[in-house]
Amino acid sequence: MKVTYYPGCDLYTKAKILNDSIIKTFRAVGIELVELANWYCCGTTFTLARDNKMSLIAPLRILAKVRQTNGSVLVPCSICFNTLKRANFIFKQDPETLKILNEHLGENYDAQAEIIHPFQFIFEHKDDFRKGVKRQLENLKLGCYYGCYLLRPQEELEFDDPEAPTIMEDFVHLIGARPISFPLKVECCGSYLIVNSPEAALEASYRILKNARENGVDALVTSCPVCHYNLDNFQTRITNLHPDHQPIPVFYFSQVMAMAFGLPVEDWGLEYNKVSPKKLLEEKKIL
Amino acid sequence: MRKLSRDEDFILRIQEISQQNIADCYQCGRCTAGCPFAEFMDEPPNRIIRYLQLGLKDEVLKAQGPWFCAACLVCETRCPRGVDIPRIMEAVRTIHLRSKEQLLDIDRIDKKILEEAHPLVLMSALYKYSY
Repeated sequence: MKVTYYPGCDLYTKAKILNDSIIKTFRAVGIELVELANWYCCGTTFTLARDNKMSLIAPLRILAKVRQTNGSVLVPCSICFNTLKRANFIFKQDPETLKILNEHLGENYDAQAEIIHPFQFIFEHKDDFRKGVKRQLENLKLGCYYGCYLLRPQEELEFDDPEAPTIMEDFVHLIGARPISFPLKVECCGSYLIVNSPEAALEASYRILKNARENGVDALVTSCPVCHYNLDNFQTRITNLHPDHQPIPVFYFSQVMAMAFGLPVEDWGLEYNKVSPKKLLEEKKIL
Repeated sequence: MRKLSRDEDFILRIQEISQQNIADCYQCGRCTAGCPFAEFMDEPPNRIIRYLQLGLKDEVLKAQGPWFCAACLVCETRCPRGVDIPRIMEAVRTIHLRSKEQLLDIDRIDKKILEEAHPLVLMSALYKYSY
C-alpha cells in the first residue's frame, strides 16, 4: 500500500531519525510512504491572531496539493499536524476566508483534505502493525509523553482527550512494551520559550522528567520533534540547575517501533539521542 | 488615589485580534492555576484579562507575562467560560509587535541554541517574538 506523507522541515534536518525510522518501520509492515510532491514549510506554529490571514497561505497550498494527490496525508510532525489541522478547521468554518485565499493564490481548495497522524493510521491498520512485532520489549517501561500540539485544541484536532489521552499508551501496548501514564504527560515542555526564556523552558522540562521518573519510567516516548529537542537535549543543563535530576532517555515512538519490529540496530538511530539509551537497553537485554 | 481611565479602543482592538469577548471571564483563576509558566510571569493570565476588563491599557502593555505564554492551550482547555486565553495573549503580543516593540534580538540568543535548535523551534520563536 502507498500512503502520501508530509515530512516538513524538521524531519529533513534535526529530526531526521524520526523520518528515517517512520519510513523503515512502515515499510516493514508493507506500507510505502511517498512524499507529497513539491511540499513546503507549513508555516510552523499556528498564529492565534484571527486577523492574520498570511499564516494560512502555506497550509492552503499544501492542502490543495494533498487534494490533487489522493485526498489524505500522513503528518508525523506534531507542529505540522497541529498547524495544518487548525488551518483546515478555519477553511471549513469560514468560507469567506477560504474564498479570499483561494482567489489570492489561484487555487480551488475545498477544505476536504484529510490530515492523519501516524498514531491514527497505526490504529486503523493495527493488525498489520501488531503482526510486525518480532521482539519482546515487555520489560521496557515507557512513559507516554504527549505535549501540547497533538491534543489541543480538542475541537479542532479531534485527536484524543486533551486531559487524559490514551492513544500513545495503546500504541506502546500494541508494540509489546509497557506503557506508563504519568500526571504531567500533557504538560508543555517549554516549546519555543527555550529560545528567548530558556530558564522557563528548562524548568518545565525538568518538572516533566522528574514526574516521569517518580512514576517509574525507564525512558520517555514522544512523537513531537519540539518536545524531543527540549526534553532530550538539555538534560546536562537541567542537572546543573537541579543536581537531583537523573537523566532519562527520550525516544521517538518510531525508534521504539524499530526495536519492536526487530530492525537492525543501525535503524534505531540511537546515536541521535543526546541522553544515551545504550546502558538501559543493555540492562533490559534489548541491545 | 490613582485615577483609572478606561481605554475602550484598546479593548476593542484586543477583542478584534483575538475574536474573544473579554467580559466572558469571571476570574475563577483556573487559567493561571494550570499555567506551567505562571511562576515566571509578573502578571499571570487571569490578571492580564482583569486589566483588560478594566481597560487598563498601560498595565497590560507593561506586563511581561504574555511573552512567557507558550501557547500550550492548557488554560483554553480548562476555562469554564470557553475563553481562548492564548488568543488574548497573542493579541497583546501582536499589538507590541505591530508597533515594532519587543522584537526578538537574534544576537541575544544563546549561540549553542542557535546552532543546535530544530528549525521548528527557531521559526516558532521568531514567529511569536518578531513581526
